[in-house]
Amino acid sequence: QHFRGRKNRCYKLAVRSVRRAFVKSTKARREKKRIFRALWITRIEAASLEHGLKYPAFISNLLKSQVELNRKVIADLAIYEPKTFKSLAALAQRRRQEGFLAALGDGKEPEGIFSRIVHHY
Amino acid sequence: VAKTSLTSPPWPEVKLPDPAEEAKYHAEVVQKVNKMIATGQYGRLFAVVHFASKQWKITSEDLIMMDNVLEAECGDRIRMEKVLLVGADDFTLIGRPLLGKDLVRVEATVIEKTESWPKINMRFWRRHNYQRKKIIVNPQTVLRINTIEIFPCLS
Repeated sequence: QHFRGRKNRCYKLAVRSVRRAFVKSTKARREKKRIFRALWITRIEAASLEHGLKYPAFISNLLKSQVELNRKVIADLAIYEPKTFKSLAALAQRRRQEGFLAALGDGKEPEGIFSRIVHHY
Repeated sequence: VAKTSLTSPPWPEVKLPDPAEEAKYHAEVVQKVNKMIATGQYGRLFAVVHFASKQWKITSEDLIMMDNVLEAECGDRIRMEKVLLVGADDFTLIGRPLLGKDLVRVEATVIEKTESWPKINMRFWRRHNYQRKKIIVNPQTVLRINTIEIFPCLS
């Protein structure tokens, strides 16, 4: 039964509590989007940790490899299609390693200031 | 030179596989998947479709409800483009970001066009004698996904 105590029987108390209920439902409709996104993010984080990746690494590498799936769908895949999620995690891991190699460069010393021979005259 | 703690960087050294060998391996895998699709060795197919500014994970005989109006009558067949991912039991095709229209075909029919339950939008500030009440009714459409088909045109 809705509303506890005399709020479900007496008019004056009921008016106040129904008004508060309406206001709370309008505000909650805006919070619902945030709550669900946080839930999806925690689920994706847990699933990617099982495959040895952290959430920020996973998501950033997926976006860099031009796969634009949103969090709701990735969370659903992690629950119902574990093989697909594993392949997505492997894709993200590979892209991450390629990014590291591209950032590290060739491994040679830079021809910078201190490896030049300085002449004092 | 003796190995100290600073000779090699602290992160684990990763070597990528040889690109030529990798290309051969990729071509093999693509051929295998093409053959599997051509012979029809997949069971249920699922797809991720971008529709009505939302992404849905759909299979065949699936109901989808959206919170807007479609300019199609009840009983119209609709072909959904913008497929992001298609998968079956043994293989998945991931689009970057979309898959080609000659690869996947998703068919749906419009079943009903109704309105949502009346949602109440109320704002109230206490002690300021301010309250506004508005009833919002959204039009909704219900679609049923009939089939998802894939064609063996991989390369």
